[in-house]
Amino acid sequence: MRVMILVLLCLSFTANAQVAPETVGQEKLAAPGPGWFLVQSWTAATLFDSETGEMQGTVTVSPLTPAIEPNFPRKEIYAAESFYSRGVRGERSDVLTIFDAENLRAIDEVALPPKTTPLWFRNYIGLLDDERHVAVFNMTPAQSISIVDVVDREFAGEISTPGCALILPVAKRSFIMICGDGSLQLIRLDENGIEAKRTRSKSFFAVEKDAVFDQVARTADGWLLLSHEGLVFHVTTKGDDIQLSKPWSILTDKDKEETWRPGGLQIMGYHRESGVLYVLMHKGGIDTHYEPGEEVWLIDMARQKRIGRMAFEVPTKSIQVTQESAPKLLALTNEANVEVYDGQLLRHLRTIKSAGASPQFLQTLGRHD
Amino acid sequence: MKRNSLIDNAWQWLDRKTDRSSRQLARRTSRRSFIARLGMAVAGMSVLPLLPVMRAFAAENLKETGDPRSCDYWRYCALDGTLCSCCGGTQSSCPPGAEPSPISWIGTCRNPVDDKDYLISYNDCCGQDTCGRCGCHNTERERPVYYPSKAGAVLWCFGTESRTYHCTVGVVLGEASDAS
Repeated sequence: MRVMILVLLCLSFTANAQVAPETVGQEKLAAPGPGWFLVQSWTAATLFDSETGEMQGTVTVSPLTPAIEPNFPRKEIYAAESFYSRGVRGERSDVLTIFDAENLRAIDEVALPPKTTPLWFRNYIGLLDDERHVAVFNMTPAQSISIVDVVDREFAGEISTPGCALILPVAKRSFIMICGDGSLQLIRLDENGIEAKRTRSKSFFAVEKDAVFDQVARTADGWLLLSHEGLVFHVTTKGDDIQLSKPWSILTDKDKEETWRPGGLQIMGYHRESGVLYVLMHKGGIDTHYEPGEEVWLIDMARQKRIGRMAFEVPTKSIQVTQESAPKLLALTNEANVEVYDGQLLRHLRTIKSAGASPQFLQTLGRHD
Repeated sequence: MKRNSLIDNAWQWLDRKTDRSSRQLARRTSRRSFIARLGMAVAGMSVLPLLPVMRAFAAENLKETGDPRSCDYWRYCALDGTLCSCCGGTQSSCPPGAEPSPISWIGTCRNPVDDKDYLISYNDCCGQDTCGRCGCHNTERERPVYYPSKAGAVLWCFGTESRTYHCTVGVVLGEASDAS
C-alpha cells in the first residue's frame, strides 16, 4: 500500500513538473475607497465595494453583535461582543474587541460589564470625536453606557442613562441619546472618559402618538431624526446645549391621502455634500413602520421638498447612500441582495447577491456613518 | 452539491418555513424576525409597560377560539418572535429546558369570543437554541428601542441563566381596564 502511494505521488509530481507550485497567499484589506460599505449580519460585517460589487473582507463577531465601529485612521475596527463559556450557557463575558483593519483579525480586547445589548443597531456603539473613547450601549433592561479608552485599552467606566438609548456622537467628546419621554440627552465626557456634563432637551415628540425612528442619519454638524408620520428634525449642539430645528413633513397632503409612510429596518441615508435625504417609503396604516419599502424618495433638505422618487422592483428593507460626490444608493432587499443605483439618476448599476447571512443594515465607512 | 448551494437551500427552506405562518407576515420584517429564521440567540416584542409577570388572573374560565400555533391567534396581536406552541411548549408554557424570562412586555388584545380586551404578557423562553418554527411578527403599537416597554427590537431574556432566545409565549394576565 505504501509503495502504491509513493508511486502515485511520484507520478503526480512528474505530471506537474512544468508548473511552478503555488503557495497559499493571504490578502490584506486595502485602504477603503469612498464607495465601500459593509453589510451587518448575524455574526459578521461583510465589506463590499459598491463600485465593483466585489466583496473585500469580513469582520467576524459574536452572534447578534449590534454593529461594528471602524476607525481607519488608527487602522482599527471595534465591536462589542458577548460570549458564553459553553456556547449558549456557562459564564458570560462581554468585551470590546479591537480588530486590525488590515488583517481583519482580533488583536486585543477590553473587558466590559456583561450588559451589552444584542440585536442590530448601528447606534449602539459610537467612537467619539477624540478618537480615543468608544461608547457602548447596555440594557439589562436598565439602560447605561460603557466607555472604553481604545488608545490605552482600558475600561473607563459606566454611565447610567435611564430612559434613554442609542449613541449619536457629536462635537466635544459628547454624544446625544434619544429618550422615551420624547426628549434628547447630551452627555459630555472629560478627557478620562468620565461624565462631565449632562443636558436634557425639552420633550419635542410624543412617543405614543408619533415616535421618531430609532434609526438616524448624520449631517455635517448633527443628526437627522424622522418620525413615523414623516416629520424631520435636525439636531445639532452648541456647547452643551441641544439645538432642534423646526420640524417639517416630507409628506404632502396628497402623500398622506395615499397613505405613504417611511418604514423598514433602515429607513434613510443622507448625502451630506448635496443635502439630499433618501427615505424608504411604503403605503400602509399606522404601526407599519417595519414594512419593507416600495419606493425611495429623495428629499432636498434645503428646499424641504421631494426632488425624486423611484419604485423598487422587490420589497426593500434597508437603504444607505455613499458619500462620494456622485453618490450611490444602496438597497438591501428581502432576498439578501444589495441593489446598487446611481444616487442621482436612480439608474440601476449592479446587483450584489448573497450579501450576508440574515443581513440587517448597510453602513458606509466614514466616521459615524 | 457545493457548500454554497447547501447554504442557499437551507436558507430557502428556513424562509419557507418561517413565512408559512401567515401571508400577511411574508412581507413584514423586524430584527427579531431574523432570529427566528436562523436559529440562535434571542426573542420577544411589543406593547405596554414593562412589568414583572404576574399571573394574578385565573384564566380557567376564559373561552378562546383559534389555533395557538398560528400567528393569527388572538393572544399574539403584539408578539414578535417564534411561537413556543410550535416548539414543544404551549401558548402559555415554555418548551422543555427553556427558562421563562421573568420580565416581559405587555400587549392588549381583543378576544373574539367575548369581544373583550385582555392584557397579555409576552415572555421569552430562554436558554435553548432558537426555535426556527412559526415566526410571528406583529407590530401593533410597537415603539422604538428607546421606549423599551413597547419596543419590538429588544431581546427580553433578562434575568435568566442564559440570554439565548428560544421562543415566546403569550400569557393572559387579566381583562384590560379602560385606563389601559
